[in-house]
Amino acid sequence: MAAVTKQNVNAAMVFEFMLKVIDVMQSYFGKISEENIKNNFVLIYELLDEILDFGYPQNTDTGVLKTFITQQGIKSQTKEEQAQITSQVTGQIGWRREGIKYRRNELFLDVLEYVNLLMSPQGQVLSAHVAGKVVMKSYLSGMPECKFGINDKIVMEAKGKGMTTEDPARSGKPVVVIDDCQFHQCVKLSKFETEHSISFIPPDGEFELMRYRTTKDISLPFRVIPLVREVGRTKMEVKVVLKSNFKQSLLGQKIEVKIPTPLNTSGVQLICLKGKAKYKASENAIVWKIKRMAGLKETQLSAEIELLETDTKKKWTRPPISMNFEVPFAPSGFKVRYLKVFESKLNYSDHDVIKWVRYIGRSGLYETRC
Amino acid sequence: MPAVRGDGMRGLAVFISDIRNCKSKEAEIKRINKELANIRSKFKGDKTLDGYQKKKYVCKLLFIFLLGHDIDFGHMEAVNLLSSNKYSEKQIGYLFISVLVNTRSDLINLINQSIKNDLQSRNPIHVNLALQCIANIGSKEMAEVFGHDIPKLLVSGDTMDVVKQSAALCLLRLFRTSQEIIPGGEWTSRIIHLLNDQHMGVVTAATSLIDALVKKNPDEYKGCISLAVSRLSRIVTASYTDLQDYTYYFVPAPWLSVKLLRLLQNYPPPDDPGVRGRLIECLETILNKAQEPPKSKKVQHSNAKNAVLFEAISLIIHMDTEPNLLVRACNQLGQFLSNRETNLRYLALESMCLLATSEFSHDAVKKHQEVVILSMKMEKDVSVRQQAVDLLYAMCDKTNAEEIVQEMLNYLETADYSIREEMVLKVAILAEKYATDYTWYVDVILNLIRIAGDYVSEEVWYRVIQIVINRDDVQGYAAKTVFEALQAPACHENMVKVGGYILGEFGNLIAGDQRSSPSVQFQLLHSKYHLCSPMTRALLLSTYIKFVNLFPEIKTQIQEVFKQHSNLRSADAELQQRASEYLQLSIIASHDMLATVLEEMPVFPERESSILAVLKKKKPGRVPENEIREHKSPVPGSTANHQEERSAAKTVSANASTDLLGLSTPPAAPTAGNTGVLVDMLGELYTSGSPQPHANNVAAQNAYNPAKFVCKNNGVLFENDLIQIGVKSEFRQNLGRITLFYGNKTSTALQNFSAAVTNPTGCIGKLNVQSKKVDPTVEAGAQVQQMVNGECVFDYPDAPSLTVTFTCNGTPQKLSLRLPLTVNKFFEPTEMTGEVFFARWKNLSGNEQRSQKIFKATQPMDNTAIRTKLIGFGMQLLDGIDPNPENFVCAGIVHTSKQQIGCLLRLEPNKQAQVSDLLQCRCFFILLRVNVCETLSGTGH
Repeated sequence: MAAVTKQNVNAAMVFEFMLKVIDVMQSYFGKISEENIKNNFVLIYELLDEILDFGYPQNTDTGVLKTFITQQGIKSQTKEEQAQITSQVTGQIGWRREGIKYRRNELFLDVLEYVNLLMSPQGQVLSAHVAGKVVMKSYLSGMPECKFGINDKIVMEAKGKGMTTEDPARSGKPVVVIDDCQFHQCVKLSKFETEHSISFIPPDGEFELMRYRTTKDISLPFRVIPLVREVGRTKMEVKVVLKSNFKQSLLGQKIEVKIPTPLNTSGVQLICLKGKAKYKASENAIVWKIKRMAGLKETQLSAEIELLETDTKKKWTRPPISMNFEVPFAPSGFKVRYLKVFESKLNYSDHDVIKWVRYIGRSGLYETRC
Repeated sequence: MPAVRGDGMRGLAVFISDIRNCKSKEAEIKRINKELANIRSKFKGDKTLDGYQKKKYVCKLLFIFLLGHDIDFGHMEAVNLLSSNKYSEKQIGYLFISVLVNTRSDLINLINQSIKNDLQSRNPIHVNLALQCIANIGSKEMAEVFGHDIPKLLVSGDTMDVVKQSAALCLLRLFRTSQEIIPGGEWTSRIIHLLNDQHMGVVTAATSLIDALVKKNPDEYKGCISLAVSRLSRIVTASYTDLQDYTYYFVPAPWLSVKLLRLLQNYPPPDDPGVRGRLIECLETILNKAQEPPKSKKVQHSNAKNAVLFEAISLIIHMDTEPNLLVRACNQLGQFLSNRETNLRYLALESMCLLATSEFSHDAVKKHQEVVILSMKMEKDVSVRQQAVDLLYAMCDKTNAEEIVQEMLNYLETADYSIREEMVLKVAILAEKYATDYTWYVDVILNLIRIAGDYVSEEVWYRVIQIVINRDDVQGYAAKTVFEALQAPACHENMVKVGGYILGEFGNLIAGDQRSSPSVQFQLLHSKYHLCSPMTRALLLSTYIKFVNLFPEIKTQIQEVFKQHSNLRSADAELQQRASEYLQLSIIASHDMLATVLEEMPVFPERESSILAVLKKKKPGRVPENEIREHKSPVPGSTANHQEERSAAKTVSANASTDLLGLSTPPAAPTAGNTGVLVDMLGELYTSGSPQPHANNVAAQNAYNPAKFVCKNNGVLFENDLIQIGVKSEFRQNLGRITLFYGNKTSTALQNFSAAVTNPTGCIGKLNVQSKKVDPTVEAGAQVQQMVNGECVFDYPDAPSLTVTFTCNGTPQKLSLRLPLTVNKFFEPTEMTGEVFFARWKNLSGNEQRSQKIFKATQPMDNTAIRTKLIGFGMQLLDGIDPNPENFVCAGIVHTSKQQIGCLLRLEPNKQAQVSDLLQCRCFFILLRVNVCETLSGTGH
């Protein structure tokens, strides 16, 4: 996907817009592929016509767009409907239409985090950060106003001062230091700036409420301890220890460790205590897969790599060992404290709303040098 | 997928098809990594691989390498393959080695050993494989190791033909990397004699080798000429059935023919008449064959035939001695010009470009001018059009310059953008080079700017200004033309630049006309001012200040403009500065000072046309020559030439300036030969072609030539090491104003300076001259100015003299010069019809009213040059009046304060004899008549 501008525009805006366009297209016809684009050419044209006017991005909210760009045939609309669409598109709250009703008021919160790590062979953290996002799926009637609370350090400190003199961090309650964050357009930024509270009228259905990034006090779910020994020019021994580093009650899943092998590998013998390991020539790596692993456990793999003599004197660069996993907690320590729903016009209260919260920690670029 | 043969490598075929089926780059890399791992494990494995497997894996590695991946193993296996006896295994081994092994590899010794073994093999196929490998690697080391074996192979009697062929080519390759490989001495003749080999393949390969050798050492291999010619003649005369395998679509051995023809282009035409005759016979045969109807309709047939033909034409052009052949070649190419095949037309144009530079075929090329112009206009392919333009440029000479330039100008309006700039340069060069009439040149350039202003580079318009300034005879015309051109509502900025510059210098020449009065000129220029870029504006400001000097009457108007632009209104600092400086200059400076500061630009020194340099830079190696015969522009505006002319003029004018009238003897000038008004105008022109070695010295010693000023108003009157005297004069009716500028060239002041104008005795009462006093001291490097006013009371015979005295470094100096104030300065051109002219002519047929003089022209006569001179003389040149178009008739009126004297003139050049001109001048007043007659007649020599 590419965008062309005549002027020197904000590059971040252009990227954001393109990501939105991808979101919109995905919600309309699923995967973006050559085939799909060909099949939905008219639709894409229609969408672009709606979300971009004279080069200025307009409403890119899928929920709203779906009210007037439908994939079914043209449905003759009544006057009221048309008026509603107009007020919707031009109104203040462009992302939610009025008159939504659910029998069961329900909402889902997913805290998704990606841990990125680079570790030295000696176990020193060279760089680590977490990129997280809060995805919300709301099925709420009317125009509810929501208030969202997290264990952000600034808020907690402010509150701590107000209620007790004790420092909240010392009181044992974990706080998270958020380096930077960004919100969905529905969040009232003015309120966030003055009171540091996140309040918003959510769009109907799924949306990404906020994105954030943290670099401090990250609990790394796994540690990889490599041991590489070159025996002569034609042989190499590799030993990799994997340690899980979280509550014993939790289970890490989909664990995969990728150990790169030299380019002149001619054969590999493997022994591993847990899971399955295989030499994949096509990727020039040993891939070690473990389905499940509980917290505070340790396992290891050892490999014997045979090498072919080559005429190049170049030394092998030893690329880092990378790994993938999924854990059911937020490695940054991010916690949802509350999510309150207020709807003044309809008679349901905060207690009537069923709320679900889920934490998922995944690996981003999780590498250990060897 | 090509079908896999019986013993083909199935694994390889599968691998390649896998790779080809990969959807993405990543998938391909994965597949390759997998295959590499497989091959590594195979090579590493304990099992020994058989030849087939080795070949297969080496082949795969080669394929992977060619896909762009690094391969760092498998070399040893490839080297092992070399020692195999199977052709296919050996072949793959050599292939891998020639592609992948670098010369610094550890294995190079092993490889060399294998190659050596193969070279000595009895099996020619193995020898050939080895030779191929050597040629493919072609390194210096290889040349050293095998430098002895290969020449032996080449000339040895028991080598097979196929091996010889490969050996020749291999040797050629090694020769290119290291020149020492070919042994001299007896080898030379043995190699040359390969041209006589029975096998055509060997001859073809050997010709390539010899061609390379000849380029390095032509003398040593001179013997190849006769052999090549005889071989060529055998091929050319062969029928297509003779050379079974080497006949390509009915053309016998086209490649060999082309190579032989190329080989011969390394040498001048053969000296031996026998060989030469044979060669010419061959070339004739080739040209004849081109005329024959094609033996096949296939394109390959005509391609092969034409390839030989074009190469033959190149050789003909290279020899450049056979007018007959050149003309025939040219005609043949002319036929191609209208061929349907675009490539053929292109090649024909290209070859013609070369032909046009040969003196024999230049005229033949010119015959096709129409077609070439047509192809410039109509051709679909831009490269062909470009070639046509090149050819036009090359074929242009004095006779067709005007037409070609016109056509190019016409075409320029619709020409492709890509070739416009080059065309503009070419037009400008041609116009300058072949301009006999500089008004034409000015017209062409102005047209050029009008049509393709954007493509006119700075150099082009600089050049036109240089030429206008150096040539005083076009200045008036140029001023008039640019003035007219500027009147167009939208004119290009370059036009404004040229216009601004020329009007600033020579606006006074057209100021007499009401339609182009000073204020009109100024208004016109200023109307463009605001549309121009800062650079042009700066130029225009300079023009305005020059106007202040030329036309004091519009000074206030101009000062107003300067005031406007001297403040913040013009954001450009340069413009602001210019405006304010010019404003102050115009306010403070006296008129004299202004005149000094804003004096007319001096003549530019002549150098190679800067445009030509631009063209050469733009298309290095692709500029067609336009230099066949050295045409000197007949009236070059160069100072160098002027100096030659001057000195030449002196020698001639010495006898021409006899004091016929018995008037006062003019004071002796420092140099001989410049006595009298009877000056040599036309002679100046006629002698320009004969440079005289001593000329420059004389000219440098004392540059003084009053003849120059008979038809020139401004310029340097006199110059030596001490002083430069410039003159600037204006005439209106019977009044004249001459401004003299004395410039001190020394580093010390000139003391006791005085300059006195004396009227010759014969002129007293007939010419009033008044001069102002000058400062007695001229500081070092300074310039002083003297105004001389003259009034023509009655016809006078002689110009006043000017005596300049001063003391320089204690040495008194005296200069006697002649003021450029001859009677013809007061001429006003008069238009009249033929009837009126001859009526008056007859009226004046009495002996008293007629002067006649016959004089010799020392140089061939050039009509246009004579015309220019006559116009410069001041009389009106009347065209189409005399029944004989060769004759010139002129009419003019001399304004004196007493009366106006009409004067008629007729010049009858006798071109056939080139001996005499008959000059007749008829007028009521004898003195004037004789005077005019004498003045002009002197110029004939």
